[in-house]
Amino acid sequence: MTSITSRRAFLQRASLLSLAGAATPWALNLAAMGEAAAATAADYKALVCVFLYGGNDYGNTLIPYDNTRYALYQGMRPTLAYAQSDLTATLLTPNVALTGGIQYALAPELAPLLPLFNGNKLAVMLNVGTLVQPTTKAQYTAKSVPLPPKLFSHNDQQSVWQSSAPEGAASGWGGRMGDLFQAGNGNATFSCVNVSGNAVFLSGHSAVQYQVSPSGPVALNGVKNPLFGSATCSAALRALVTAPSTHLFESEYTRVMSRSLTAGDALSRALAAGPTINTVFPAGNGLADQLKLVARMIGTAAELGAKRQVFFVSMGGFDTHDGLATIHPGLLTSVAGAMSAFYNATVELGVASQVTSFTASDFGRTLTGNDGSDHGWGSMHFMLGGAVAGGRFYGSAPVVANGGPDDVGQGRLLPSTSVDQYAATLGKWFGISDADLLTVLPNLSHWNASDRTLGFV
Amino acid sequence: MGASHAQIDHVVALGYAAWLDEQFALPSSGTRWDWLVAQGYRDIAHKNDQAGFDAAAWSKLLSAPDTLRQRMTLALSEIFVTAIDGLAGGGWRQFAAAAYLDLLEANAFGSHRSLLQQISLNAAMGEFLTFRGSAKGNLGSGALPDENYARESMQLFTIGLVQLNLDGTAQLTAGKTADTYGQDDITGLARVFTGWDFDLAGLTGAAATATPDFMRRPMVQVASRYETGAKTFLGTTIAAGTAAGTGLTQALDTIFSHPNVAPFFSRQLIQRLVTSNPSPAYVARVAAVFNNDGTGTKGNLRAVLRALLLDDEARSDTVAAVTSFGKLREPILRLVAWARAYGATSPSGAWAVGNTSDPATRLGQSPLRSPSVFNFFRPGYVPPNSALSNAALEAPEFQIANESSVVGYLNFMQRAVAGTVGDITPDYSSLLALADNASALLGEVNLVLAANQLSGATTAALASAVQSMPAGTDASRRNRVNAALLLVLAAPEFIVQK
Repeated sequence: MTSITSRRAFLQRASLLSLAGAATPWALNLAAMGEAAAATAADYKALVCVFLYGGNDYGNTLIPYDNTRYALYQGMRPTLAYAQSDLTATLLTPNVALTGGIQYALAPELAPLLPLFNGNKLAVMLNVGTLVQPTTKAQYTAKSVPLPPKLFSHNDQQSVWQSSAPEGAASGWGGRMGDLFQAGNGNATFSCVNVSGNAVFLSGHSAVQYQVSPSGPVALNGVKNPLFGSATCSAALRALVTAPSTHLFESEYTRVMSRSLTAGDALSRALAAGPTINTVFPAGNGLADQLKLVARMIGTAAELGAKRQVFFVSMGGFDTHDGLATIHPGLLTSVAGAMSAFYNATVELGVASQVTSFTASDFGRTLTGNDGSDHGWGSMHFMLGGAVAGGRFYGSAPVVANGGPDDVGQGRLLPSTSVDQYAATLGKWFGISDADLLTVLPNLSHWNASDRTLGFV
Repeated sequence: MGASHAQIDHVVALGYAAWLDEQFALPSSGTRWDWLVAQGYRDIAHKNDQAGFDAAAWSKLLSAPDTLRQRMTLALSEIFVTAIDGLAGGGWRQFAAAAYLDLLEANAFGSHRSLLQQISLNAAMGEFLTFRGSAKGNLGSGALPDENYARESMQLFTIGLVQLNLDGTAQLTAGKTADTYGQDDITGLARVFTGWDFDLAGLTGAAATATPDFMRRPMVQVASRYETGAKTFLGTTIAAGTAAGTGLTQALDTIFSHPNVAPFFSRQLIQRLVTSNPSPAYVARVAAVFNNDGTGTKGNLRAVLRALLLDDEARSDTVAAVTSFGKLREPILRLVAWARAYGATSPSGAWAVGNTSDPATRLGQSPLRSPSVFNFFRPGYVPPNSALSNAALEAPEFQIANESSVVGYLNFMQRAVAGTVGDITPDYSSLLALADNASALLGEVNLVLAANQLSGATTAALASAVQSMPAGTDASRRNRVNAALLLVLAAPEFIVQK
């Protein structure tokens, strides 16, 4: 970074602080705020968000197992419930037992995650979801505190999870973390990498997501090889698709195309020179394909000069409704196979303690159900990696009920832990200061300082 | 959508309004369903696959003569979304999906209210939004009816989440939007959508689903699963004991009477057809026609289309010159534009374009293959951290534009242009005649394929490159044509439609 850029960044940081509470202008370069952290980040760390699109059914992901609570679960979804006897093999035995004899089992399809839990690499986050501030059931009922906008709506709650704002949000917390570190990365383009489709999660104020396919960068044939035999036309093609334009839509299109061509060349070279990964990823599993590419990129981090990277992968299909019994088990099989293989690949690469992956989803679902479950709110999630203080639960176990103290009806959980706390815990491990976390996560200040991070990693 | 040189001349000769009348009057170009039957896909061997669907959909998009009806059908399929992968429960996915597109097409110039009624009883929609087979509540377990269709039909198909003005902007009270419905409205409306299931009448027994015929019958009631109690939503109560069909009609009448329907639908249709950021006044003009076509009828889609396409904001060169006007042409329409410009055919009749969803190797978009009911892209999508977001501009189609898909599209089009996608065969005779003169060639391609949107500087640069290629033989002329087409298809000035 040149001194001129640094000076400008300093001024921008100063102006940001003076504007605290006001809307952040687009061009404001928050990267400046991370200069200290970036300068000292000699090591490598990666965060990997595994987004389960559609709203994962928490009730058939982490199942109440103790007799009292199993009976309540089974009574609320008699035709959808796993048999208790089918859960014995995946009963979780945490290092710190939950109070009141509460026990949970993983869905049988998540069995590949069990050894990771027992090996203290996997932790479970109980009842986490979108919140503006700590919210009690009474406050929810009385609407006496601000609630997340557009609850139970897929697109909006995906956005709130990823960015703290509904659809149309300008930036997400993965991208805002990237803002802090991209100046310290050898190639800023690879700070926020999406192996799925576009997601606001990875857009920062200055950081831009770089999208790559599971098979790596896609080369433009007409540029790579003479276009219909003509090298002159190839050159014209490259100039054409990267030329600046005054039209705003054309300009954005050529910006994406330019990034694709420039970054694609660099990444293709790095991947070709990177280590071979021998860990077997499950075949026919799109999430596994994405995570394998993430592992390959992590393997080239040194080559690319990357110190801090945020990755986004995703899987769709979780809005099962009446397909819960038939479709959901297969989805969980894919998640467990992909995530366990990814962890093993990080072990193979010798970076298991430098990579933390975590799940996220639109929302949880109802616990009651005739033939399926409906849109909910709080849910259960997983954190995986060598640095995770695994083998235990974090947060509080909700009462299993329809209209009980911890749900807003039908087993739609009122979150007891916020996405901001979940994200802040990941961010603190990533190397973000307490002060910067408040900028990355605008609602975090609504929690007491001692409650802002959860210590799971 | 795309047009040949002759078709462009025809529009110029007729004028826009007369051309629209001619398009409205064109007979339907045959159904996808009948095409599938004719191709032999009604055989039981295809009950559990999707074979034939992509071909049926592409054959219409690429070649059916009723251009406007096909364009409207595609637009409707991106507002009232279903997707073939989500059609589970009855097999025969290709027929269910075909019947759904046929339904949209049959109503493309018809009544919005009638369309709502028909999609709410459509078998594919019943499967996709999971209310086919939905049962009434269960007092024992506390379970309530499936809320999927109740929620998404209001959020995505009819009224949206917040109260709107006629011009499509949100109503604000002290700076805050007002919700259109709450969870109780969803729970109430969900009771209407219980008890509906496939119509297997006359098809009983093991053979009932051995043919796809039930997939184009409106769903019917299974009385034992219907919630007969009162249903309260959006300030209305359907009385207990009301017959299921009557209750459904009342429910849809209630939704249709919501003042949001006109601006919600009109703005999205403008975004699909004309520009991503219509002015509020433009939305209001179209929405007013939606509310009253001049004869007191609401929801006349023909009148809405006419008003939308003939509006000054859609036609003015001055408006089109503004640097924020227009829309990113979606990938499906780029392929369609090329095919229609050069009269592409499938000599075998197979139309084997296939599923074009893969963003790395194909179009990143394929007809009726959206990943969810939220379409390929959302009407309010804003590319984060961009000049567009800085200018507060929506750009829906950018949701599927990323570093992989922009390149995957061009690689795919390079194959299409060369005639190696299925047996899709363009007729380049008009271009081959000009090929030795690159400047004339580029001028013709710019006019027909890109509506003359490429600037003189761009066409000159491209012509210069093409002019450097060998000439004078059939093979060299074909290479020149291929290169010229690919370059125009790659040009940002083509990719953004103004």
